[in-house]
Amino acid sequence: MSVGQYRSLCQRYSGKAVEIRCHDGKVHRGIIQRIDRDRVYLQPMGRSRNFGGFGYGGYGNGYGGGYGRSFGRGFGFGFGVAFGAIAGIALLSLFWI
Amino acid sequence: MNYTYLECLALFGVGGAHPGGLQLTKKILAEEKINGDTTLLEVGCGTGQTAAYLAQQYGCSINVLDNNSIMVEKAQQRFSSLALSIDAKVGDTENLPYPDKHFDIALSESVISFTNVIATIPEIKRVLKRNGRLLAIETVLEQTISEKEQTQIIDFYRFPQLFTENEWLTAFRDAGFQRVDVTKYQPGLEQVDEQHAADFSLSETIDDALLEILGKHEEIMQRNKDKLGFRIFRCS
Repeated sequence: MSVGQYRSLCQRYSGKAVEIRCHDGKVHRGIIQRIDRDRVYLQPMGRSRNFGGFGYGGYGNGYGGGYGRSFGRGFGFGFGVAFGAIAGIALLSLFWI
Repeated sequence: MNYTYLECLALFGVGGAHPGGLQLTKKILAEEKINGDTTLLEVGCGTGQTAAYLAQQYGCSINVLDNNSIMVEKAQQRFSSLALSIDAKVGDTENLPYPDKHFDIALSESVISFTNVIATIPEIKRVLKRNGRLLAIETVLEQTISEKEQTQIIDFYRFPQLFTENEWLTAFRDAGFQRVDVTKYQPGLEQVDEQHAADFSLSETIDDALLEILGKHEEIMQRNKDKLGFRIFRCS
């Protein structure tokens, strides 16, 4: 997908929880807060590597393993991921009671 | 600050924060006769995702209530942005601010579980019309667990009780419901899609402590996968 396509996908997924896989192997999970010309900004949801799966649903349109590390400490607020760095986006299936 | 699980849901503004999400809600309601004359009460409306859907889909009259003022505020924002007239109040399920025999349908999406069940169910029954029905998606204890495990679950979610299916059935019958149909809900069978994924109405600042709560929730759900189950109760 092109940068423009990722941009419009992020716009559509605004307010939703997603997992973004980058070309460098990093994986970011969070809620899409906003986007600007070049980046999508995420609110982190947790530090756990597995967060989002809850052992139930898994991913909406999943892609195979090889996840990198999740958010590290220091990302207090929403942070940006450049559209150009994105290799794939999936909606997270979260489980609430 | 120590947040509770429900406060965490409110600050993240999770829409459809119940087993099955909006997808299950739609499925359950599709089986009910609902039209423009139906009066409906949703207890524990959260950010109002379900109520907004109901108003748009059926054009019925809807009252919603939640004991969390942040949730009610976020629900009101949603309703006004969609130009829906839905009455949203801060209130307590154990003392509902509505007259007797007022509603055709009452809906609880994983809400009664978080209240004193023995006080809430008769109160919902009170505001239902004679032929009214209660639709509830709730957590049940599937198997005997150690006191330690039970305490951990109850303390984290602040459940006043953790009922088995039979205990729920007794509570509904004791409140005067004649007929209770039970359906088991098995999580994780449906694929999440854009239309049904939970939506988030985030508060401006999200404290790091909230991330810990989400992590703990995940851990407890994982660990008790076979011990906690979910039921759809239809009580009339």
